[in-house]
Amino acid sequence: MSLFVAAMIILVLAAAAAFTTRTRVSGLRRGGERLHSLPGYHGIYVFLWSAVPALLLLAIWAIVQGGLVEQAVLASPAGQALPDFDLQRDAILSEARAIAGGYQSSGFYPQSEALAPVHAAARAHYGWMGAGVAFTAFLVGLLFAMRRTGAAFRARTGVERWMMVVLVGASMIAIFTTLGIVLSLMFETLLFFQKVNPVEFLFGTQWSPQTAIRADQAGSSGAFGSVPLFWGTIFIGAIIAMIVAIPLGLMSAIFLTQYAHARVRAWLKPILEILAGVPTVVYGYFAALTVAPAIRDLGVTLGIPASSESALAAGLVMGIMIIPFVSSMADDSIAAVPQAMNDGSLALGATRSETIKKVIFPAALPGIVGGILLAVSRAIGETMIVVMAAGLAANLTANPFASVTTVTVQIVQLLTGDQEFDSAKTLAAFALGLVLFFITLLLNLYALRVVRKYREAYE
Amino acid sequence: MNDTTTATAADTSAAPALPKMRAENVNVFYGDKQAIKDVSIEIFDDKVTAFIGPSGCGKSTFLRTLNRMNDTIPSARVEGLIELDGEDIHAPAMDVVQLRARVGMVFQKPNPFPKSIYENIAYGPRIHGLTSSKSDMDAIVESSLRRAGLWDEVKDRLDESGTALSGGQQQRLCIARAIAVDPEVILMDEPCSALDPIATAKIEELIHELRGRYAIAIVTHNMQQAARVSQRTAFFHLGNLVEYGETGQIFTNPTQQRTQDYITGRYG
Amino acid sequence: MVDRDTHEPLMSAHTLKAFDEDLDQLRALISEMGGLAEHQIRESMRCLTQRDVEGARKVVADDAKIDELDRQTEQRAIQTIALRAPMAGDLRDVVAALKISTVVERIGDYAKNIARRVEQLETAPAIEPLSLMPEMARIATEMVHDVLNAFVERDAETALRVARRDQAVDDFYNSIFRTLLTHMMEDSHHIGHATQLLFVAKHLERIGDHATNIAEMVYYAATGGMMADKLERDDTV
Ligand SMILES: Nc1ncnc2c1ncn2[C@@H]1O[C@H](COP(=O)(O)OP(=O)(O)OP(=O)(O)O)[C@@H](O)[C@H]1O
Ligand SMILES: [Mg+2]
Repeated sequence: MSLFVAAMIILVLAAAAAFTTRTRVSGLRRGGERLHSLPGYHGIYVFLWSAVPALLLLAIWAIVQGGLVEQAVLASPAGQALPDFDLQRDAILSEARAIAGGYQSSGFYPQSEALAPVHAAARAHYGWMGAGVAFTAFLVGLLFAMRRTGAAFRARTGVERWMMVVLVGASMIAIFTTLGIVLSLMFETLLFFQKVNPVEFLFGTQWSPQTAIRADQAGSSGAFGSVPLFWGTIFIGAIIAMIVAIPLGLMSAIFLTQYAHARVRAWLKPILEILAGVPTVVYGYFAALTVAPAIRDLGVTLGIPASSESALAAGLVMGIMIIPFVSSMADDSIAAVPQAMNDGSLALGATRSETIKKVIFPAALPGIVGGILLAVSRAIGETMIVVMAAGLAANLTANPFASVTTVTVQIVQLLTGDQEFDSAKTLAAFALGLVLFFITLLLNLYALRVVRKYREAYE
Repeated sequence: MNDTTTATAADTSAAPALPKMRAENVNVFYGDKQAIKDVSIEIFDDKVTAFIGPSGCGKSTFLRTLNRMNDTIPSARVEGLIELDGEDIHAPAMDVVQLRARVGMVFQKPNPFPKSIYENIAYGPRIHGLTSSKSDMDAIVESSLRRAGLWDEVKDRLDESGTALSGGQQQRLCIARAIAVDPEVILMDEPCSALDPIATAKIEELIHELRGRYAIAIVTHNMQQAARVSQRTAFFHLGNLVEYGETGQIFTNPTQQRTQDYITGRYG
Repeated sequence: MVDRDTHEPLMSAHTLKAFDEDLDQLRALISEMGGLAEHQIRESMRCLTQRDVEGARKVVADDAKIDELDRQTEQRAIQTIALRAPMAGDLRDVVAALKISTVVERIGDYAKNIARRVEQLETAPAIEPLSLMPEMARIATEMVHDVLNAFVERDAETALRVARRDQAVDDFYNSIFRTLLTHMMEDSHHIGHATQLLFVAKHLERIGDHATNIAEMVYYAATGGMMADKLERDDTV
């Protein structure tokens, strides 16, 4: 029996049980008993107890089943006859699975056709077994819940507890995913550090990851000094982009909160927020096709050696992209400064701009700084714009007209195309990703702390 | 005998020198809603004037018209004549920033700036360029804090944040801040509503001390407080000025039934 | 000023009901004291005319009740001021109650003094002015009765009328004074008794004066104006 069908059946049965319970408990009430909880809660309670554990078991079973079926197939006489070589065996097995599932009518390997019936039988066997386990859980849960429901039973509190379990489960998924990402990054990074010295990676200034596939090829030893990459990242994301985004973002926030008429604000704010919704790839080709050539021309006019892919182009466009982040955080924290501060200053005879400069801005500063930090962490993680406009040359330069490259660009470079998954070149991407992850994590943590501290200021 | 709706009827007994501020037929609207209806009143230099009345009757609104703080509310519209020393405060020649320096305001909730105590006081004088040297500024800070009765409590911690003070101290800091720009009139909107009786008594004593130097108008919900600190009392009801007269008379023998009902606790 | 002559209607209730109860209790206490004081005056005069020494002793003893009520009134009034912080009309009422109770206590003292003189007059022969005195006492008692009613009802009009009646009591006193003087001059044996009677008349006259004082307090409490101003104005009209 397919596990999916089993799940559907369990859902339908649980719903039916819930409905019956509700009707039964309503009957109690009509019979004159005082209920602790509304009949609906009893129904939900029965549904949760009967459906959730059973479905969870099914989900677990679905994960385990593949392995069990494979073992069964390999244990069969036909399976034991398979070659030992992993790749070929896996191909045969997956073909057999496809034939058994009916996605494929015949196979490339003759063995697979022989294995298909075995596979189908094993699957059916374990499917029934899983369904059996799930139905048992269903029945146990159902009986348990049904026996408890009654006039005095506190189904409401029971449902409440279930809600908490569900919510905790949901947040756990996000947390475990993050943890999984970090762990996988770490694992690959450790592999990388077996090949490349971490000190060289972190402090080296030479980046040329082209290792040869065969030892006799030229340039067989790559250089993995990541400093130019991080410099490029910071130069574009934290310096040039911020020089653009901070003044523009703050000033537009001040205009929107302090000067703009309510009607103007109602129009301008959403428009500004649209900037945040533009896909970054659009910013990317805007940077590469419009801004970069213009800047190169400017550089040439000024007599500065300018490349066609410049840090300035990418940084400017990224700055524009970041404006909404800065301005909406600044907007929020300026709006959070109590009106009383504003009034207090105006009542002393201060003008509006004096009030903004000397009272509102300082009071909102922690929030604004928090916003800027978040924007920086967003900017240095940004990929598309820099891939399209910043270039690939790992230069350690402060010339904004020169081409620089960033961490994210290099990660993309290292991972696109045909790769060997255990070469230093590929593994370097993971190490870069991990360091970038830690940098943005620290920035975010720091930003949150700053923001939280400022929240307490007016309590 | 006479038309009882003109509140100035009871006002003939006291007519000293020229009033510091004078409002004549003032109407205030929020959008279409009229919050103040044809109010005429005079505020005198050496007197504390209390504004009392049920919640929502327009006391704060009227107080805020006196230093044009209502300008900051987009929907608010003020009609009628308001004079400060005989000058129309809405005249083009009158600079609103200058007006607010002359007519200071203290709010219901203490609102010190999140700056040091010193900076809170120095803020106004600095904006208006009242001082030319650090020692001048020190002197202004000290004298303002002294006059607000706060100096002894804070003199050793002038660089601590103003928000770190207790509620009553914060309110006195706000009064000191208002005094520091040397205003002529001080408006107070329920300055003690968030304070305990001791802090309240200190503020009341302070108001008493300040009388004579400044014309003071105070909004309060506390009858006893109005009776304690003011020489003249105005009773507002539904945007009307119902009665305005000597505080002693208002609290022992009001002429209007509505005033009597309100102050004796028979309202609503 | 707005015309305050017409007496104010009884005011609507306070938002805080307990405040009304306090004021009502205060009025009830004054009313009770007044009733007692009237009774004392009437009894002392009855004992005087009927030479009832026993009754007179009881009157003297009963004065303690009035004193006790005075004490209670004072306590309640002070408590009301402390707890309710009365304003305007309420404040005038409470303060009036405080003062009136003291005055009523004085009136009680006069009744007691009259009763004390009964013993001295037990053996006295019938003297003609004695026949005028019950009428004088009746008017004085009525004044006390009316003025206290006026207080309870916040009735400034009645208070005014009471004050005007004081003249009648004074007239009685003057006429009794002259008559007693004549008696004393005619026959020196009468001097002792006549002096006692003169005191009684004086006490009654003082009771009238006190009732007039109360009337002034009631007038102020009810209207916030001064009765003297009002009487003056009425006289010039
Ligand atoms: N900004 C505003 N916009 C619209 N209406 C307002 C505004 N401020 C006040 N009002 C209205 O004006 C009327 C008077 O308000 P105001 O604040 O002056 O009352 P108040 O007498 O100070 O009351 P309270 O004693 O509760 O402070 C109220 O009906 C209020 O709803
Ligand atoms: Mg107000």
